[in-house]
Order: sequence, then C-alpha cells, then structure tokens
Amino acid sequence: MTSNVQTNDLAEAMRLALLRADPKLSRFDPLPRIISHDSFSTGHCGWSQLVGNYENDLDTMLPGYAQHTSAMLSTLPHWDAGSHGGMGSSYALKIATRPRKGAQNVAIKRHTFRHRGKIRFEVYFTFKPEATELKLSETDVRSVGFLFDLQSGDKDADGQRVMPHLRFLNALDGQHVQKWQFKRRTTELKPIGDSDKTLSHYHLSPEDWEDLPGGAQRLCYNEIPTKINWTYLAFDFDLDEMKALSLRCNDRTFDMSDFESIRIPAMKNLWCMLNFCLFAETDADKRAFLYVDSVCISGDF
Amino acid sequence: MLPENITLVVGRNERWSGAAATEPVEAGWAREAVIFVRALKAPKGEQPVARVEISPDGMRWVAEGTQAPMPSLKDGVAVMRVKHFGNWLRVAADYRPDSECTVLVTVHLKA
Repeated sequence: MTSNVQTNDLAEAMRLALLRADPKLSRFDPLPRIISHDSFSTGHCGWSQLVGNYENDLDTMLPGYAQHTSAMLSTLPHWDAGSHGGMGSSYALKIATRPRKGAQNVAIKRHTFRHRGKIRFEVYFTFKPEATELKLSETDVRSVGFLFDLQSGDKDADGQRVMPHLRFLNALDGQHVQKWQFKRRTTELKPIGDSDKTLSHYHLSPEDWEDLPGGAQRLCYNEIPTKINWTYLAFDFDLDEMKALSLRCNDRTFDMSDFESIRIPAMKNLWCMLNFCLFAETDADKRAFLYVDSVCISGDF
Repeated sequence: MLPENITLVVGRNERWSGAAATEPVEAGWAREAVIFVRALKAPKGEQPVARVEISPDGMRWVAEGTQAPMPSLKDGVAVMRVKHFGNWLRVAADYRPDSECTVLVTVHLKA
C-alpha cells in the first residue's frame, strides 16, 4: 500500500515537473489526460463555425444560427499600433460578430467522451469591440462566454442532453455590468423540415440568463480599444454526475453551488457528445471580437 | 507539419442587394486565397461584377483589382483568386435597385 502511494506520488510529481518545464503547457493546470491543447499558431485546431440545423432548404435554419460566420486566425492587428499578437505566438483564434446590436457568433469544437469523470476547460482569452471610434468603447461588447453541449451514453437510463452555459456579461444597453451569468432554460425545440429527423433550439437567445451568485468581476479592459490583456479561465465539469464543479477566472474562484445547466431529453443522434463552444455578443452596432490565445481541455482518466 | 489550409464560410444564404459585402476576414497567414460565390437561388435582375477588396485595418476598404461577374443562374459560381492581400480580405458587389442574389461565399486559404 505504502509502495503504491509512493509510486503514485512520484508519478504525479513527475507529471507536474514535465508540465511545468513545457513553456506551452506550463501556463495551464491540466488534469492527467490532455484531450486537446490548442495553440493557434498551429492552425484552427478544430474550432469551426457553429452551423444551425436545416433540412432541404437553408431557409429552415433558425435566424440565431444563420448569422454565424467562420472563426479566423488573427494577429490582433490594430490600425494605430499594428499587430498585438498572442501570448506565445503571433496568432489567436478570433470570433467576430456582425456589426448589429445583439449579434452573436459561436465557434465549436466537436468531440465525444470515452470516460465519465471530471474534465477541465482552460482558456486564455480577451475581448474588444471593433475600433471604429476613438473612444474607450468599454460597453460595446455585450458578452463573451462558453458552453458545453453534452449527452449521456446510448445505454443510460433517462438519458439527457446537458448544456452548461456561462457568459461574462460585460455590458447591457450601455451599462457596464461586468458579471458572470448562467442559463438553465432554452427556447422551445422546433422541428426543422418535415421528416421528423431534425430539431433545433436557440439556446443562446437573450432571455433567461441568471446571475451567478457572487459573480461580479472587473476584468482588465485597458485604456483604449486597441490595447488588450489576456485573461485566464478554467471550468471544471463532472461528466458522471453531469454537474459543474468550479469556475476560476484570473485570481477569482466562484461558488458553483447554485449553478445549473440546460437539461433537455436526450436526442436521437448525439450519444456521448462532448462539444465545446466559445461565443461573443455585441451590445452596439459594432463588431465584437472574442480572441482566444490557447485552449487546454483535459480529463481525469 | 503540413501547411495550414482552411475553408471559411463567410456568407451563407445571404441576400445581396444594394452595396453588398462579406464580413471581413483576416488571412495574413495565407499565401493564397480562392473565393467562390455561388448563387443559391435564381438571381434577380442585372448581376454586377463582384470584386475582391483589401484593407489596412478591416474597416477601410479598397479594390484589389481581382473581379468576376456574379453568376446569372441558380447554382452558378463566380471565382476570384488572389495572392497579395496583406491581412484583410472581403468580397463586395454593388446591385442596382431591382436586382439581387442569394449567395454562399466561401474563402479557401492556403499557407
């Protein structure tokens, strides 16, 4: 017993030593298995456009999804200061909305899970509005956030689709709100087409966001719209209990005991789904940009 | 490592009329871009010539010089190829008041 404990301790010490000696991984706190580590100087790393469901005709796509465009690789170039660059390379993933108040855009990474246990989602991110005005513009980005889209295994009793959502509500109708919110309700599931094979629901509709208790946080915005600073975020979720475990953002850890996910009945073709989404919303008739320097998704298995 | 290449959908099922343009794309890492504009529905009225535009900042746009007639039939495809574009790219077209086209615009980038 003692020998096994010592072996495990040694293995963990060695794992941490290797992680901390790797300049690209050292800034993360991954669980024992790294599912993916995305550094955007190596490409888009599977972060693609969230396209809405349709059947026979693209006009059947819900409008919330129709507005989405592809994420791009950006050097964060600014008209007044040139390229800002990322933390460890010149590139970051950029998710840009259209220039219309309330517009959203979403990038998605689609996996399935092989183990029901704890997973960790770590991101270095920042956000800014398009610098169309020589003003601070700190209330032009409504929010940036992330969600998981999960479904139980095909042999599970009472299978569910579970969608934890969190957003940093930066501003709303010009007010600089700065707080974390979650969502437990979605819009009605609507049939798409007439074959009874496809449904769609707009889970990022503006309604039904709820404040995370104690979730007020002032992030580093900087002093003009073309200066950015990278922010750390980590979210832990248990795929066995389908329950959020913790949210950390920079120096703050938030109480998740009142957090709840969107839960709907399991759908026909989504078993063991493990999807990750990143999104941006604008609060002005101006593009909002969510930039992601790097992402590390890890699991305890 | 293989060189990066990517297909981006920058306009899907969008009805172009008046002064139309795609959302800006940053593509500074790419050495070449091929842009396809497909007419998803039967175009209405006289179809303009589409043009590639480049920009110093993603906000101010100038014609790059590459252009192609917009398709005149449903499922017709216009193609534009560019090699020197700096960072920012978009496609634009100016429609007369009585004309329009519903488009799928894809940008294919290669390092």
